[in-house]
Amino acid sequence: MSETGWVPIALSRFIAPGTSAGTAVHGAEIVVWRDTGGKAHAWEDRCPHRGMKMSFGFVRGDHIACLYHGWEYDETGTCRYIPAHPDLEVPPSICVTRYAVTEAGGMIWTALPLGDMPEVEPNAPEMDGLRSLYIDAPLDAVLAGVKTVASEVSQTGALITATLGETPLTLGLQTVDADHSALHITLPSDTPTATRLSLLDQFATLRRNVESPLKEAAQ
Amino acid sequence: MTQLVLHNYDLDDACYRVRLVASCCDLPVELRNVDMFPGMEQVSPPYLKLNPLGRLPILETADVTLRHTGAILLYLAGLDPQKRLLPTEASALAQMMDWLFFAEHDLSVSTEARAISIMDLPGDGPQTIAQTRALLRIMEDHMSAQEIKGLSFFAGEEITLADIALFPAFALSRDCNIDHDAFPALRLWARRVRATPGFVVMPGIPDYH
Repeated sequence: MSETGWVPIALSRFIAPGTSAGTAVHGAEIVVWRDTGGKAHAWEDRCPHRGMKMSFGFVRGDHIACLYHGWEYDETGTCRYIPAHPDLEVPPSICVTRYAVTEAGGMIWTALPLGDMPEVEPNAPEMDGLRSLYIDAPLDAVLAGVKTVASEVSQTGALITATLGETPLTLGLQTVDADHSALHITLPSDTPTATRLSLLDQFATLRRNVESPLKEAAQ
Repeated sequence: MTQLVLHNYDLDDACYRVRLVASCCDLPVELRNVDMFPGMEQVSPPYLKLNPLGRLPILETADVTLRHTGAILLYLAGLDPQKRLLPTEASALAQMMDWLFFAEHDLSVSTEARAISIMDLPGDGPQTIAQTRALLRIMEDHMSAQEIKGLSFFAGEEITLADIALFPAFALSRDCNIDHDAFPALRLWARRVRATPGFVVMPGIPDYH
């Protein structure tokens, strides 16, 4: 079944103002970037000029520029400036495809199918981002792994709530592609540092346990 | 001050580490450019006399000839009157050395992976890329923990030689098809390294300004 609705693609605090990053959902490459005013954007990760990944580029104010030739796009995805032709009024037809984007629960989200603009925002409780854990395994295997270590695991769309030790967690689920997943781990903002560090270790162990049978099978 | 001569190849990431430390410490270094690729000048008789290991970088002064990157970095950071890349506290210094050895020893496979990818040198491409990715993941795990502790760099709150020694492997990883997508903590850290006064780039590491 193909996934629909909101999916998390990054933890908010790891996309600093003025930066960009690449990611993928079901194999479709996305650039997630934040302008210097703090607003997040999720676009197709492809410059219409030469197909370069926009995520390799750089953010300038409320524009993102391609690394290859510096073509700059505004927040509507429209090309505004071509450095090789500084006096050119750029035709408005040069655009990068934009996707739905919102922030909730300490995560940045886009919506599937890509290009769909849902009217209702994702329902995620206020949480702090711990880390995004990238795992070389299909999402099913990751979920099975979470269930072996956490209790009270319950899934709604791309979110699961679970308790690990004493800590109530909200985990955002991202299918990067058939063999790669991301868990965007969030927790209550009053979680002590020692607990956060212990959770980091537990999730690193989880990643190892999920990946090692797959690695052995591949050999 | 004693004259510093760096036998340098611009595309070599170890030579870049030396240029970066020299620049961040405000130390003038005279560059002698060596035709490492395709000329293999580093294994020519005059260079083998300087460094029988047949490698770059080599740092020469009136008194010493140094040929291990870590030793060169330590020497330069020690010449800096402000000692801005050297922690004084024992634990921070030891952590810096731990990551410096990681960069020099373990991460040398990333240099190999990149050389296979961009210079078509012989070697096991897929294997060295997989090893590089596993090492970057160790770095990502560490910086995820550092962030939680409120520490911005590998050996503590302040930038040290460790960060400079580790930076090129991450910044150049796309040369061997390792994207930055799965390394959010390293992305934030690399941005802090870039913001260090004296930071310079090399081919393959874009200057955003």
